[in-house]
Amino acid sequence: MINTEKYYFDTFQVTLDMLESLIAVAMKDGGDYSDLYFENSQMGTMILRDGEVNSAGLHTLYGVGIRVLKGDKTGYAYSESTAWPAMVQAARSAAGIAMAVKRDSIQSASSEAKYHGRPNPAADRYPEKLSWQQCGMADYVTFLKKIDTAVRAKDTRVIKVMASLSYQISDILMFNSLGELKYETRPLGSLSISAIFKQGDRVENNTCGKSLRSGREMLSDNLIEELACEIVKGLDQRFEARRPKGGEMCVVMGAGASGILLHEAMGHAFEADCNRKGQSIFSDKMGKRVCKKGINIIDDATIHGLRGSTNFDDEGVPGQRTCMVEDGVLCSYLHDRISARYYGVPPTGNGRRESFQCMPIPRMRSTYMENGEASAQDIIASVKKGIFVDNFSNGQVDIGVGDFTFYVKSGYLIENGKLTMPIKDTNIIGNGPQALADIEMVANDLIIDEGTWICGKEQQNVPVSCGIPTVLIKKLTIGGE
Amino acid sequence: MMNRLEKTDIQLAEMSLRIALEKGADMARVSLSKSIMDLVGTLNGEVDKVTHNLSMSINIYLFVNQRFGSFSTNRLSPEELESFIIKALDIVRNVEPDSCRQLPDPSRTAQDAQSGLELDLYDERYESIEEEERIKTALKTSVFAQTEGTQEWSLISEEIEYSDSLTDTLTLDTNGLICRHTETSFDFYACMTIQDKNGNKYSGYWWDSTPCLDKLDISSCVPTALRKAIEQIGPKSIDGGKYTMVISNECSAKVVSPLLNALNGYSIQQNNSFLMDSLGKRMFPEGLTITDNCRARGQGGCRLFDSEGVSTKEDSIIEKGVVKKYFINTYMAGKLNMDPTIEDATRPCVLPFPEKGASLPLIMEKCSEGILVTGFNGGNSNSVTGDFSYGIEGFLFREGKIVHPVREMLVTGNFLRLWSNLIAAGDDYRRGTQKQVPTLAFKDVDFSA
Repeated sequence: MINTEKYYFDTFQVTLDMLESLIAVAMKDGGDYSDLYFENSQMGTMILRDGEVNSAGLHTLYGVGIRVLKGDKTGYAYSESTAWPAMVQAARSAAGIAMAVKRDSIQSASSEAKYHGRPNPAADRYPEKLSWQQCGMADYVTFLKKIDTAVRAKDTRVIKVMASLSYQISDILMFNSLGELKYETRPLGSLSISAIFKQGDRVENNTCGKSLRSGREMLSDNLIEELACEIVKGLDQRFEARRPKGGEMCVVMGAGASGILLHEAMGHAFEADCNRKGQSIFSDKMGKRVCKKGINIIDDATIHGLRGSTNFDDEGVPGQRTCMVEDGVLCSYLHDRISARYYGVPPTGNGRRESFQCMPIPRMRSTYMENGEASAQDIIASVKKGIFVDNFSNGQVDIGVGDFTFYVKSGYLIENGKLTMPIKDTNIIGNGPQALADIEMVANDLIIDEGTWICGKEQQNVPVSCGIPTVLIKKLTIGGE
Repeated sequence: MMNRLEKTDIQLAEMSLRIALEKGADMARVSLSKSIMDLVGTLNGEVDKVTHNLSMSINIYLFVNQRFGSFSTNRLSPEELESFIIKALDIVRNVEPDSCRQLPDPSRTAQDAQSGLELDLYDERYESIEEEERIKTALKTSVFAQTEGTQEWSLISEEIEYSDSLTDTLTLDTNGLICRHTETSFDFYACMTIQDKNGNKYSGYWWDSTPCLDKLDISSCVPTALRKAIEQIGPKSIDGGKYTMVISNECSAKVVSPLLNALNGYSIQQNNSFLMDSLGKRMFPEGLTITDNCRARGQGGCRLFDSEGVSTKEDSIIEKGVVKKYFINTYMAGKLNMDPTIEDATRPCVLPFPEKGASLPLIMEKCSEGILVTGFNGGNSNSVTGDFSYGIEGFLFREGKIVHPVREMLVTGNFLRLWSNLIAAGDDYRRGTQKQVPTLAFKDVDFSA
């Protein structure tokens, strides 16, 4: 949502003159670039447990982060007040970087503005059609109770349902020493459900969720039905499921949430800060083939309403679609302003931060692979022995070595081209460059998952999205007993 | 102590309680927290970032006609706070009533945390550290310029961070609770990335953390991080199968945390625990004892009270394999119809087994051969079954000595079975960690490769 310039100036009790003066204070000790990031966030939470919505909350975060760059060195401080003396004190702290670095070793930043003009409301990627804050609590209580009823109606084995609804509305105002002024309001709604099931003396659990940059309009009877179906999906198989025999095998990753593969196996290693420091396994692979011809991997801020989408990143750079791998060749890292300057390329709009209390660093947005030409059925049919996976909880990567893992909540064995025994609770490990090179088939069924994906890096969490068509990977290592 | 909460801040907390009652709350608790952190990061021997963070926020817990809500804000002017509390009360009035929502009984709350300084976790030297000193500290152990490497490896990057922080928290409630905790922390971190002759990259890191500046060990972080990077050169794939697993003290808490989570009242009440109905029962081998050493003076992570203000107690969580305690806060006590304890383990400690004095080399020697795990890479566990699967980083060892690093391996099993195969627990606790878990050894663990 994009409001008027005056709305944001009023929210933060500042004027354009004040912003310019504050930048002047920040640059006074010799910095060559500075930016201001104002944030006013309201987060509402409601929890249903044991059939009752008996807990709610509201959390406010307000302040301004001030960054000063001297070459690629950073000084950062923030103020939780936008009163002039408090902001000046923070600006002086951030300015200290200019004094702390060796002047002769630093390449100065460009002083030319690139992103002219004010934000265009017509180009907004996440309008809030129904306001989260103007809906009363009673409305949310009713909605959450409907979820409880819907999930319990789906299966008699449900013994516990917990549902958590949260929304965040963030007013953001950005200004920098190039004179670029950007502002917007970011809505983010999230609904998570967890359930416990009992069959005889066996107990199982499952979770699912939906998160969008959207207003209250995302909450609908259709969403309740969708999530209620999802949480009980495959329940019979889950009670039958066993651990597979561990070891190396062929893996078919189903469309959608399997995009975690791209996030962990390559996305983090493509973030340019670790490449700038020479730490990534992909540091010397720019322009080289990293996977089969025909494969395109994208990090995209432009898809309306996705959790990973942005109008502007947290450095005021317009959200954009960045092709990281084109026709199998590595063609772009994910840049913030610092790494873009280091590599001599335009920033890609990946400078993101958790809040004004953190400095921006290169982060993914919505990461996915474009469609191939195979069908999911053909891919499964081509596998003599392997596993099919499509339900995950978390992943991790060691950027230097390139080893990544992700945890599979459920899937199936594939035997002679058919899905057979259900499997669950196993971790998969592989090496990023090898796994990329081992992608043998790509289907034409791309799904971008709308789950509540959170990416953690350097103690900062940001919302992201991921997606993939069904793919066949020649070999990964599966955990088993 | 000029950076701690001031009298006017404390008055703000008191005022919040007063407003909550005046505007309709039956009961309320507030927790006002101030934290300051300064950090200097270096990259390859040069200052890379300098940050200064100062935050103050208030958490407000409101109880109205058996209804409950939790709120927080960092907008702390009296006018803003008052309107925030009025808004918060309006939200609470619209949730459903739950008679279990109560403040803790005053007899259970801490009476010995009045000044915040009782645990000796505040170092006055914090107040006098200048920015110049921080920069010097961060730079002085750099070896980037002098490290030439060998034929086997070259140094790609060196990242060092020094930071110091102060946290001061005051918790009050409408039953007269007053609890305060003040803690300084001094932290040093090094990450070294090397490249071998084949172009493979390996990163090693090491850190130290202490509430007392004089005890901060900055000299060993860079050499240890470099050694740990070099040790990873030349990983080999080995066959999967059952191996003895030794987990070093830098990551052994990974297999203890799920046990503690399974003993939490929320997990028990939601039937989301593989330790349901385990209180008072022998669920683990006699060799496993976990205590809560929450009140050790001068040790980072210790606390005299939990977030409700309930007094912490040094006692057993698991004693000789028997589950002695669930973590039951006031709310869960009502929901489960059980006596309340404490909301969580504060500073859990796995006691040595079978004897005191064992460290990593001695345990490896005793086990003779197996896989030494020095880090975990992702993975997770199923909270209702206790099944787990984790990626690992580590080494194959034989005759108690490291043979070579292993690559792309996973460890998979079930926590109850894993702990039933406990061979040894050392007493080589890693300083600066909230969970005091030494080197551990388990037999017959499934590794996949």
